[in-house]
Amino acid sequence: MQSRKRFSLILAALAALVLVLLALNVCIGSVPVALGDVLAALTGSGQGTQADIVMSLRLPRALTALFLGGALALAGYLMQTFFYNPIAGPFVLGVSSSAKLALALVMLLSLRQGWLLTSPVMIAAAFAGSMASMGFVLLLSRRVDSVSMLVVGGMMVGYICSALTDFIVTFAADSDIVNLHNWSRGSFSGMSWPDVGTIALVVSLCFLAALFLAKAIGAWQMGESYAASVGVNLKRIRLLIVLLVGILAGISAAYAGPVSFVGVATPHIVRRLLKTERPGVLIPACSLGGAVFCLFCDLLARTVLAPTELAISTVTAVFGAPVVLAVVIRRRRGQA
Amino acid sequence: MKRDLLKLEDLAAGYGSRVVVDGLTLTLPAGQIMTLIGPNGAGKSTILKTLAGELAPLGGTALLDGKNIYRMQRRERALQMAVVLTGGIRTESMTCREIVEKGRYPHTGTMGRLTPKDQEAVARALAATRSAGLADRIFSRISDGQRQRVLLACALCQEPRFLLLDEPTSYLDLHGKLEFMELLLRLCHENGMTAVMSIHELDLARKVSDQILCIRDGRADRIGKPEDVFKGGYIADLFDVSLQTMQRFGMEYLCGQPQEGESEE
Repeated sequence: MQSRKRFSLILAALAALVLVLLALNVCIGSVPVALGDVLAALTGSGQGTQADIVMSLRLPRALTALFLGGALALAGYLMQTFFYNPIAGPFVLGVSSSAKLALALVMLLSLRQGWLLTSPVMIAAAFAGSMASMGFVLLLSRRVDSVSMLVVGGMMVGYICSALTDFIVTFAADSDIVNLHNWSRGSFSGMSWPDVGTIALVVSLCFLAALFLAKAIGAWQMGESYAASVGVNLKRIRLLIVLLVGILAGISAAYAGPVSFVGVATPHIVRRLLKTERPGVLIPACSLGGAVFCLFCDLLARTVLAPTELAISTVTAVFGAPVVLAVVIRRRRGQA
Repeated sequence: MKRDLLKLEDLAAGYGSRVVVDGLTLTLPAGQIMTLIGPNGAGKSTILKTLAGELAPLGGTALLDGKNIYRMQRRERALQMAVVLTGGIRTESMTCREIVEKGRYPHTGTMGRLTPKDQEAVARALAATRSAGLADRIFSRISDGQRQRVLLACALCQEPRFLLLDEPTSYLDLHGKLEFMELLLRLCHENGMTAVMSIHELDLARKVSDQILCIRDGRADRIGKPEDVFKGGYIADLFDVSLQTMQRFGMEYLCGQPQEGESEE
């Protein structure tokens, strides 16, 4: 039971790191806030601009980064396991692009029809877009045997969606699609407390659901036929995983826009750290790892070139892309 | 008299509406080994998939201990039968023990936590396949022969009565093949396991089988004991080769060469 102790230790360390980064994200900024003032603001006894900054800007933003980071990494882990492919991820397989297409369509439609574009509608649109692309990739996986071709297929879906989005955007007035531009920059900022609550609830539920799938995922790792032979209901697990990935990727696309590389890179870093492939350990570890990754990157995005803010994907790509490259190179070498 | 564990009645196996093999009728008593031989594409894997319950029978029935295999509950089937698949496991850092533990799937609860009883079963399966020394090695870094033994351990720790093996010896070297077969013989003839496997090596099939099922042109061409099946020029005819039996080192070997003229592949 040596390894079990090591797993708990690393998971605890990751959880502690999440808390530390959460504190740093709230304290550091153009207006530094002392930890004591943060606590005062939390208990409602704080006053003035500092408490305001904490409660209405920094804390919602940090919590969003925490939960959506976890969501993205978990979605990435589930996709990599599901497709038996190390470079699968929500961003790679065109989920963000199709979410963007759906958003663009809804934005234009609502302007034409004079509807009020509420955030539930935007979220529903992004979710529908994500699910559509996951569904398409799933259909493709029935026809295409080679997993690398499947990833290429997913990327093509992404390009087609981007092209269609560009096409729509070309014919739209700039003022009509300001929201779309803002969305596609990707950011954890601007969340209201109800938004944060929704995100936290949905992501936590998905996380619990994923934990209950851990046993079946463990059998799935040995191949679909094997999983079926030990009693896994393949149809049900396929549906559940796709649904979970769609919800997780969809909710982060809906609220934060496209955030690249968190989903692909985090599972690899975490696997390296824990040296295991047990789903029961990797599901919580990836979720915590994604939270760490996003909190860290968002802190940099906010502070490095302050007062100018970097797009979140700019930072996540800098840290995530090398990880993916390293994985590809290592696998090449392993095969040779 | 041993009772029949597997019973096929006019079974038709295939995909969708396309029948690949038709009219299979046979019984296999408990504790025996049946091998499937025949040319590539004859339908050996299709039969195995149907016996595993992965494919629905397109006609007739396949009964395991009197119960319809395809209609059984998933878990109940997994408690009766284990499948050994060759290759296709893409893991990087899983240890052999972790692989073998997967076999406990039908025995564990919702969260898949292993009880001491499960751990014992894992240890027994590792010991039975002489893989105990491999337990903490990384699965992707051991030899093909060792890997096949670990996969057999994985199937055994499911504690089934019936084993299905799809070309278990294909990637093994001579030592690995002989070792694996010896293991299987011991499991079946001493411990009462029943096994059905597809195989390409005719020498091995002759050595380990209690029954051989020869598949050709979508039907069971011949079923019987090895000595009956290997009688006369039947095997040469089945594989479309000319065969000679050679006596060396006190054993018989089959030497073949393709027939002149067109080949089917």
